[in-house]
Amino acid sequence: MIRFEHVAKRYAGGNQALADVSFELGSAEMAFLTGHSGAGKSTLLRLLALLERPSRGQILMDSRNLAKMPRRHLPYMRRRIGMIFQDHRLLTDRRVFDNVALPLMIAGMPYGEIRRRVRAALDKVGLLSRERAYPPMLSGGEQQRVGIARAIVNKPPVLLADEPTGNLDPTLSEELMRLFVQFNELGVSVLVASHDLALVRQLGQRVLVLSDGHLVDDIPARRPGHGS
Amino acid sequence: MVRSSPTNAPRRRQPVRQALRAWSRRHAYSLLSSLGSLLRQPLASAMTIIVLAIALSLPVLLHSSLKNFQQIGQDWQRLDTLTVFLADGTGQDEAEELAARIAGWEAVETVSEVTPDQALEELREEAGFAEAVEALSENPLPWVLEVTPGGLSEAQLNQLVRRMEGLDPVEMVLVDLRWLNRLENMLEVLDTVIWLLAGLFALAIVFVVGNTIRLDINNRKEEIEVMALVGATDSFIRRPFLYAGLWFGLAGGLLAWLMVLGSLAFLRAPVARLAASYDSPFRLLPPDTTAVAVLIAGASLLGLAGAWVAVTRHLRHFSPA
Repeated sequence: MIRFEHVAKRYAGGNQALADVSFELGSAEMAFLTGHSGAGKSTLLRLLALLERPSRGQILMDSRNLAKMPRRHLPYMRRRIGMIFQDHRLLTDRRVFDNVALPLMIAGMPYGEIRRRVRAALDKVGLLSRERAYPPMLSGGEQQRVGIARAIVNKPPVLLADEPTGNLDPTLSEELMRLFVQFNELGVSVLVASHDLALVRQLGQRVLVLSDGHLVDDIPARRPGHGS
Repeated sequence: MVRSSPTNAPRRRQPVRQALRAWSRRHAYSLLSSLGSLLRQPLASAMTIIVLAIALSLPVLLHSSLKNFQQIGQDWQRLDTLTVFLADGTGQDEAEELAARIAGWEAVETVSEVTPDQALEELREEAGFAEAVEALSENPLPWVLEVTPGGLSEAQLNQLVRRMEGLDPVEMVLVDLRWLNRLENMLEVLDTVIWLLAGLFALAIVFVVGNTIRLDINNRKEEIEVMALVGATDSFIRRPFLYAGLWFGLAGGLLAWLMVLGSLAFLRAPVARLAASYDSPFRLLPPDTTAVAVLIAGASLLGLAGAWVAVTRHLRHFSPA
């Protein structure tokens, strides 16, 4: 599904965010991406979400090279990726419903279909009753779940999350991570960047460890519940 | 995923229709969201629209005044004749014979005689002269020939005038035509000035709308980024801003029209008083349908152009490379 081949990213200022990273994430596979802050987790996700281009190497998704993809194809590729941010990136002046509906509006879906899908997505994250609220009226955990609903509403085959539990307490964090595991069980490829090592270990999924822009470890998945 | 099978014609047509529907839905969304964002900032939008309307109404008002002035000019078309005064004591036979002679010339189209009695009658009907005419004991007016020349140049006209002045019972030839020519030339200059002004104001509108849209783009950075993130194409992101420019132009044009109508209504009474004092049927006309259509369509297009400038200059920075 996703393959990194010797990917490097160097920013204009000379900061080497990623250096020679190679790995593969299969279809319907889940992995966590960990490492100290500044290790390159966000850069890796931004490359996948087509927000940045690699300086070197290839990124393949569905055996298409993202690094070489022409600009006008990027929007259509992005529709196949659900992206979740630590700061949720919701539009504060639109209702929860309209926030979640945005990707479908952009796709030009008929209103009835949009309504059905948005409610299904909100139901999945347990926020169906808040569809008419504005994001600032919600708690941090709820806002994050609206972000998740927006990411999954278009049923993308790939879900990316950048520190989704960054601002949440441990109980909420675990709840949220279990949500990702659930999506993965439905056949979605999931890559979650997180520095919450304890929680990541507890979930027993595959873990990729980044350090100073290098991939230093790739821990395979265990059956959840064993050890920690 | 939309599947299309080449063997099944109706199935092949389906995606086209669906794509068309999706396209129109996306447009409807952009249209509504652009209107929504204008209405969310009513004061800022209103101020922009008022600035546009003032800039638009100035050249339109000038143009409208010129048109009205030209309407007066049309009344003066009857001055397109040369007035030939015959000497005192010229008799009817002599006058008619002279008229027939002049009418035979190639440079002359028509000649009509005005008897002293007719002239007096005309004078009596003119404003303010009735009492004066009553006071006269006898008719002091001479015979007059009204000569309409047939499309002559200035030099040919002068020649004609000199030739007529050389004839025996002719006392004087009055040429009002030159004045008319000069007036026409002046109006032409004024017309050009107005078009130049209109061009400058059009440019101003492009910049005003461009700047407003640029500010709007900056204010909505966040929204634009989010839209790009969830798969909006560049044109989808651009569209609400282009629509906003169109709305600004359209609203500015409509308001400008109202302003022009208002100004003309304001002028109507004083102009009517002025016209009455000259006993002229002249009255102030509002801009014609074509002018209004040009104003409103032109303003909309200028707004669109301004938005287009802003969008191409400033939106590129927001979509990630």
